[in-house]
Amino acid sequence: MSFGHWEDLKGVVAMADAEKIASKQKQISISEFFEKNKHFLGFDTLQRAVITAVKEAVDNSLDACEESRILPTIKIEINKLKGDKLELICQDNGPGIPRNSVENVFGKFLLGSRFHAIRQTRGQQGIGITGVVMYSQLTTGSKTHVISKIKSDSSAVYVNLGLDTRRNKATKSNERRDVWFEDSEEVSSGLKIQTVMKAKYQRGRQSVNQYLRMTSIVNPHATIQLIVRDGNGEIIDHGHWIRTTERLPRVVEEIKPHPHGIHLGQLQRMLKEADERKLTSFLRHNFSGVSMRAAREILEKAELEEGRTPVRIKPDEAQAMLDSFQKVKLLAPPTDCLSPIEEILIKKGLSKAIDSRFASTVTRKPAVSQGNPFQIEVGLVFGGDLSADGPIEVLRFANRVPLMYQQGGCLLTKALESVDWKRYGLDHPGGKGLPKGPAAVLIHLASTNVQFTSEAKEAVADNEEVFEEIRKAMLEVGRGLRNHLKKSSQRKKAQEKFDLINIILPEISRKSSEMLGRDEPDLAPVITRIMNAVFLEDEVLWDNDAKQNICSVTIYNYTARARAYTILAKWPEGEGVRMAENPRGGRKETNGLWAWRLDTLNPGESTEIRFTVEGVTKGDWNETEIFYRGNGDIIGANKIDEKLLDEMRKIEALAAAEAEHAKAAESGSMERLADRAEFLESFEEIEDEGESESIPAAPETTPTLDDWRGGGAE
Amino acid sequence: MSANGYTKEQVIEALHDIAGEMHNKMLKGEPPTMTLPVRTKQNISFDSKLGVYKYGKKKSRRDATSLGSARQLLRALHVTEFIEEMIEAGKSSTLREMYYISEGWGHGKFGSQNESNNLAEDLEIITKCMREDFKLRPEEDGARIIGNITLEERNRRGEWMRINCRDDVGDSGYGVPHNVEVEKLRMVNHDVDFIMAIETGGMFDRLVENGFDESARCALIHLKGQPARSTRRIIKRMNEEWNLPVLVFLDGDPWSYRIYASIAYGAIKTAHISEYLATPSAVYLGIRAGDIESYDLPADDLSSKDIQALNAELSDPRFADAEWQDEIKLMLELGKKAEQQSLAKYGLDFVTETYLPEKLAETLGR
Repeated sequence: MSFGHWEDLKGVVAMADAEKIASKQKQISISEFFEKNKHFLGFDTLQRAVITAVKEAVDNSLDACEESRILPTIKIEINKLKGDKLELICQDNGPGIPRNSVENVFGKFLLGSRFHAIRQTRGQQGIGITGVVMYSQLTTGSKTHVISKIKSDSSAVYVNLGLDTRRNKATKSNERRDVWFEDSEEVSSGLKIQTVMKAKYQRGRQSVNQYLRMTSIVNPHATIQLIVRDGNGEIIDHGHWIRTTERLPRVVEEIKPHPHGIHLGQLQRMLKEADERKLTSFLRHNFSGVSMRAAREILEKAELEEGRTPVRIKPDEAQAMLDSFQKVKLLAPPTDCLSPIEEILIKKGLSKAIDSRFASTVTRKPAVSQGNPFQIEVGLVFGGDLSADGPIEVLRFANRVPLMYQQGGCLLTKALESVDWKRYGLDHPGGKGLPKGPAAVLIHLASTNVQFTSEAKEAVADNEEVFEEIRKAMLEVGRGLRNHLKKSSQRKKAQEKFDLINIILPEISRKSSEMLGRDEPDLAPVITRIMNAVFLEDEVLWDNDAKQNICSVTIYNYTARARAYTILAKWPEGEGVRMAENPRGGRKETNGLWAWRLDTLNPGESTEIRFTVEGVTKGDWNETEIFYRGNGDIIGANKIDEKLLDEMRKIEALAAAEAEHAKAAESGSMERLADRAEFLESFEEIEDEGESESIPAAPETTPTLDDWRGGGAE
Repeated sequence: MSANGYTKEQVIEALHDIAGEMHNKMLKGEPPTMTLPVRTKQNISFDSKLGVYKYGKKKSRRDATSLGSARQLLRALHVTEFIEEMIEAGKSSTLREMYYISEGWGHGKFGSQNESNNLAEDLEIITKCMREDFKLRPEEDGARIIGNITLEERNRRGEWMRINCRDDVGDSGYGVPHNVEVEKLRMVNHDVDFIMAIETGGMFDRLVENGFDESARCALIHLKGQPARSTRRIIKRMNEEWNLPVLVFLDGDPWSYRIYASIAYGAIKTAHISEYLATPSAVYLGIRAGDIESYDLPADDLSSKDIQALNAELSDPRFADAEWQDEIKLMLELGKKAEQQSLAKYGLDFVTETYLPEKLAETLGR
C-alpha cells in the first residue's frame, strides 16, 4: 500500500502547510467533521458501511500495488458477529507501509491532499482508510489491528490503531515486531487490516460481492477473493476473480494543473507557496500548457506586472489572473497522466465476470474538458448468460472505481440512455431510459478530476464534453453490436438453408420414393434451384493444445454458373500476432486484412480457406469478418468497399511514417535528447506565435470507416 | 366409416398422391411442392347447392425453398406414413398422441400441437378424406345433451346401447362421442319440437334446473364454447333426420357470432367438410345486440380485440347479408357486449319464463 501513501504523505505535508496558512481561522478537526457527516462519506447505513470499508481498503491496495509494480492479490474476509457487528479482514501482497508512516496513513483525513500533482488515482474518490478506523472506533469502540511488512525489513510490524478524533491523530498501542506467516508461508511484503464494525452484510446489486466483481472487471491484472461467513462459520457468500492478464496498468505521469481547470482558492494557495520571484516564471513552472508568450498575455490581460512576486499577489489580483486564463489561448494539457484500461483488457475483464457471446470495446482518445484531461472507455457484452428481460446492466466506473449508487442521476447513465439503441439491435421502448435485452455496458471515465454531483461521489456530474465522448464511444460499440447481430442472423439463415438441402430435402426424397416404390431423384438440380446463391461459412476456433486460433472459411457455389472471387478475411494482426499456417498463401491487403484469390468455383462445388493465428490468447479473437471481390453476391460475406480500403491503406502508411520518425528521434543520445527538448521548447514558442492553440485533434473518422473497424470488434 | 364412404385403399391412395406431387417435382429438377386451397375467409364462398360455405378455387403452393415449408412437406410424409401404419394395424390415435409421436421424426417433428392439428386438416382438405378416415381422433370434448330423445350408441364391446337423453342420464346429460356417424350412433326417436344449442355451461344448467326441456318440449345441447366437429355433426343429423328446427342461444359478443356461423354456415377451418357439419337452417336466438338495450342488460364495453373481431366479421362472406351487417354494426355502435347469464339480473326464472318464450314466439311464431 505504501506508495499510495507516499502520495498521501506528500498531501499531508501540503495540508500541514495549508493549515499553517489558515492558522488564523478556527481549526476544525476533520475527525469531528466525520462524526457529523458520515452520510456523505459512505457510512450512513449499516449495509453501506461494509461496502465503503472494503472499497477504501481495496482501492488503497490496488493503488499501492500499481505504483510498486506488483500484481495485486487481495483477500477480503467478512465474518458476522453478534448484534449487527462484522469482522472485516483485508489482506494484500502490496509493498506494505514503513513502521513510522503507519499512523499517518491510518490516522489523518487527507481531504484535498493533492495541490500540485495531478493525475489519475483511485484514492482520489474516497476519504481513505482512516474512515474505516474511525467508523470501527465510533461504532464498536475497538481498535483496528494492522500488520505491515515491507520487503527490506526482516520482520513485520504489528500494531493496534485508534483515533483521537479531536486532534486528528492516530493512537498506537501494542506495537511489536514479528515474522508474519499466512498459511504457513512467510509474507515478504503486504498489509493486513483487521477491524470490527457495526454493519450488515447484504447480497444483490449493491453488495460487497458486486463491488468486487466490478472492481475485478476493470482491474484484470488483480486477483481478488471474497469469503463471507455467518455466525457459525458457514460460508454464505464468496467470489474468486482470478487475474486474466499479467500486465499492470502503465505508470501514469504526474502533470501540473492546467489554468482552465483551476479554482481561485487553489490559485491563491499556489501563489502563496511559490518559490518563483516573477509571475511569468510562476505561470510557466506551475501550470501545464502555458508558454512564455501565453504567460505574458495572461498578465497583460490581468493588468499585472511580469516582475511581481507571486507571494505578494492580493486576492482581487488573483481573481483577475484567473479571469484572464479564460481569455488566452493555451496549449491543451498533456494526456499521458491518464491510465485507460485499454480495449483488450476490458474485454478480458468483462469475460472474467460475465459469460457472454459477444463483446465490443472502445477506448477513445484522451480529450480535455475545462483543463482536465479525460478519457472514455466503453465495453458492451451481449448474449450468453445475460438475462434477456428487463433493462441492461450498467457498470459505471470512475478511475477504475465502481460507482454503485445513484445510477439514474449519473452522467454516464444519461449518456448511455441518450443513444437510440433500437438502431443497434436492443429493445429501447420509447427511446427513453435504459435499453432492454441480454446486454451489459461498461463505462469508464478516466480523468485527473472527476466531478461528482455530490460529496457522496456516486454519480458523475453533467459535462457536455464528457457526455459527447461517451455518446461517440457508445455509437462505436453499438455499431459493433449491430454488425454482430446482422452477422448472427445471416448465419442463422444460411444455416437454415444448409439444413434444408442437407437434411430435409434428402429425407423428403427418400421417404416419398420409398412410399411410392420409385427411384430417388437426382437432387443436385433441385438444390441449385432452392439455393440459387453462393454461400460462405466462417468460423474461428481456439486450439487449446497449439494455443492458436483456427479460422476456416468455406465457400459453396449453389448457382448454375461458375464463379471466381477474391476472399478477404479480417484477422487480429498486431505485435506478436502472426499467421502460422496458411497453405493457400494469398497476400496482405492492409493491416489486419488478408486476401486470397480463388480458382474458378464451378456450380455445385465448394472450397475451404484455412489459416491459423499465433500469439493470441483464448478469447482474444472469436469472430472474423469476410469480404469478397468479384461478381455475384455471396451470402455470409460483404463486398469490399475499395474506397474504404484505400483510406485504410493511407492511414496505415501515415502511422508507419510516424512510427519511423519516432524511432529515429528516440535513437539519439542523452545530449540529443536535451537538444530535442530545447528544440521542442522553441517549437512550442513558435507554435504559440501561430493561430493554432493546441495539439491538432485527430480527424474524426467517418462512420463508415468506424463501421469497418467496429465490425470485428471481437 | 365413413361420411364420404372411402375405402382404406382409396384413403391411402389419396395420401400417396401428396407424396407423388413432391416426387414428380424433384424428378423435374424442381423443389418439391404441396398444393392446397387457401384457408382464409378470402377463399370461402357460398355453395348454393349445399347451402353452406365451402373453400373457393384459390390454391396455395407450399414449396421446399424455405425451411418452414420444407419441414411441412417432410411432416406430411411422416404423417402419411403414420396413418398408413394405423390403418394397417387397425388402430387409431388422438391428434395429441400424434403430436407426441412426432418427437421421433427429427426435422419433421411438430413445434406445437396446433401445427399438428393444422397439418391433419391440410391433409383432409387435399385428399377430401375426413380425419376419421385417417384414424385420428380429436382431443376436444363433445357436447352433452338433455331432452326427450332416444339414441343408440355402439359401445366398446360392439353392442348397441339404447339411451334416452332425459330418463337414462344424470344431471350432466348424454355425452356425445367424437364419432357420431351411423356406424357408431343411430337416431332412434324423439318427442321434442326443436333443438336448442347453448353456449355456456352455466346457462345449460340453468335451463335444465328450470325444467325448460320439458316445459318447452326441446332437446338442450351444451356447445362448450366453439363447438367440436362431433357436436356440429350431431346437430346436423338431428336437424336432417328428424327435421327438427335448431335454435342457437349464445352470449351477445363477436365471438358468439362466429360460433353461430360455424354451426349454420360452416367454419373457415373446416370449410372442406361444411356439407357434413353445417346446419343452414339454424336460427340465432340471442343474445342479440338489440337485447342489450331492449332488456336493459348489464353489459361490458367492447375491448379493442372485440372491435377488431367485429370489423373482420363485416368483411366475412358468411355475414354478408343485410341482417347480419345491421346486427354487427349495431353492436359496434353500442360499444357493448352482454353474457347470457346477464339475464339473471331479473331473477333466475326470467330466462325461462320471459326471455326465451318471447324469443321463441318471435322466431317460431308460437
